Amino acid sequence: MPFNIIVLVKQIIDIDQIRNDPKTGEALLQNIPLRIENLSKNAIEAGVQLKEKNGGKVTCIIFGTDKSNAAMKEAYAMGVDEGYIIKGYKGNNPQRTAKILSEKIKALGNNSVVILGNQSADSYTGMLPGMLSSILDIPLLGNAVSVEADGNNIKVKRVLDESDEIISSPAPCVISVTQEINQPRLPPVLQIMAAGRKPINMEDAKDEDVPVPKILSNLAPKSERKKEIYEDVDRGVEAVAKAIRGEIR
Amino acid sequence: MKFLIFAEDSKNAGGIASKLRNSGNVHAIIMKDQVEASSSYGIKKIYGLTGKPFADNVAESITKLNPSSFDLLVISSTTLGREVAGIISAKEKLLCATEVFDFTLQNGKIVTKRFFYGGKTIMEEESEAKIITVTPGSFDPQNGEKTTEFEDIQLPQSKVNLIETKPKEKSSTNIEGANIIVSVGRGIGKKESIEKIMPLVEATHGELAGSRPVCLDYKWLSEERQVGLSGKKVKPKVYIALGISGQIQHIAGMRGSKIVVAVNKDKDAPIFQESDYGIVGDIFMVVPKLVEALKK
Ligand SMILES: Cc1cc2nc3c(=O)[nH]c(=O)nc-3n(C[C@H](O)[C@H](O)[C@H](O)COP(=O)(O)OP(=O)(O)OC[C@H]3O[C@@H](n4cnc5c(N)ncnc54)[C@H](O)[C@@H]3O)c2cc1C
Ligand SMILES: Nc1ncnc2c1ncn2[C@@H]1O[C@H](COP(=O)(O)O)[C@@H](O)[C@H]1O
Repeated sequence: MPFNIIVLVKQIIDIDQIRNDPKTGEALLQNIPLRIENLSKNAIEAGVQLKEKNGGKVTCIIFGTDKSNAAMKEAYAMGVDEGYIIKGYKGNNPQRTAKILSEKIKALGNNSVVILGNQSADSYTGMLPGMLSSILDIPLLGNAVSVEADGNNIKVKRVLDESDEIISSPAPCVISVTQEINQPRLPPVLQIMAAGRKPINMEDAKDEDVPVPKILSNLAPKSERKKEIYEDVDRGVEAVAKAIRGEIR
Repeated sequence: MKFLIFAEDSKNAGGIASKLRNSGNVHAIIMKDQVEASSSYGIKKIYGLTGKPFADNVAESITKLNPSSFDLLVISSTTLGREVAGIISAKEKLLCATEVFDFTLQNGKIVTKRFFYGGKTIMEEESEAKIITVTPGSFDPQNGEKTTEFEDIQLPQSKVNLIETKPKEKSSTNIEGANIIVSVGRGIGKKESIEKIMPLVEATHGELAGSRPVCLDYKWLSEERQVGLSGKKVKPKVYIALGISGQIQHIAGMRGSKIVVAVNKDKDAPIFQESDYGIVGDIFMVVPKLVEALKK
């Protein structure tokens, strides 16, 4: 059965490239490129695969800024059909993000399969899956490592600490995905070029009245490691063996 | 003050209760089979959940206890816990601070600490959050007064259907309690190579552990040996990282180690920034030499 699939994509600064100022410990964020958040990419891939097997349409929503076009184009290249960028993202605030995303999801119709990451890679709040299922009042199929559809019914393999479960629910529903669910595709050049020409819907976010926590500090954790690094393997082995012996004795 | 805890297991319930009990009355909601083990941590009243837990029916049961009447709802940040926190936060319109590993309460506000930017920084925030999710293992459970009040709660029907549940195989590994850990990353290349690491595990009387790709993606080791943000937090005397690049999500799980040793063929690997001793070289050349040196 064809589904109305909505994938939620977060754009983040490339956290792998962040360095900390060695003196102050502050994160140096200037000139670091933006990219699609890790789990959001798995969400896109899961949405596109669901469409490829069952038919339907994949719509992408980014609550971002006027710099989010590149992320949307990448989503298009991966197989997303239509995209909305809602401008006005001001940083990590799941309460606000959930409100804005849920309003857009409702406006797109109330029969959707909403796919998102289980915990985003920069802030890993993990709040959105529960919040959206609550606000939209639809079941949550959370922490999925696989998704399968049978008619209107969606089946998910869910991984928990103590057990693995297979759970299901009819659409509409919210599915949160893990990193293990798939390997996001690298789109071919032709698709990337076509994606560049595809129009993107832009909207402005309403200001929502939600409390904003006050950031007192945001600094690198102190590492007091010795950092004795040996390129001479034999000397290194000697030093390490001595250190280990000191501890196991 | 009055606090409510939701945790799936007794250790995390006990850890959070130990942190809170000097500031007020602690109530806790715990899976029924964990109630007894949770009754020695100074929790005043324990609610035992019976039935099959899903995010929606657990959230519904907690909501019935009126979370707004407590000063703080503290949820252990497991997969289920985060989902439950999201549902209650949205439904009750209560602000939630997430993935907290330390916090202090002051004049109606809460100051929370959490990792940010994938673990590159620690963010300290002040807010009026009434819910917090706490990273499992953040607080040590310490014995306190025995619980005197117990009540069972039958979980209501979930909107989600359960088709099958497969308990994970429980083995005797306990890397959280190990003195020495030999941890392998993607750099070992294939499952068969683990054999070549075992002599080092034996020579150090250590436990074997691994990075997330090794435990989850490739399944060369079982999941319960995964160290990191989404795995186990370990504090051995010696942590030996073999072919692990040192991504921040991995570091988050072994930061508490006393001595860190890294072997990596890339001299710019970030793991060396988090090491006391580093050897730049191939695992399969270094490990036999190290075993030899330890035998001397
Ligand atoms: C939300 C989230 C949660 C995560 N949670 C975790 C977690 O709990 N734990 C975790 O580990 N990861 C976690 N990750 C994944 C993490 O980001 C990294 O992808 C992962 O830690 C990398 O594993 P690795 O170091 O084994 O592999 P790689 O990064 O591929 O590193 C392999 C290293 O081996 C070296 N090497 C290769 N061959 C040799 C050789 N022959 N001899 C010596 N060195 C060699 C290479 O130089 C390289 O440095 C998480 C990611 C996200 C987004
Ligand atoms: N600003 C955003 N816009 C669209 N989707 C988002 C946004 N923030 C988070 N998400 C989605 O929600 C998932 C979980 O995020 P979080 O709950 O913040 O950890 C991410 O992997 C994304 O799929």
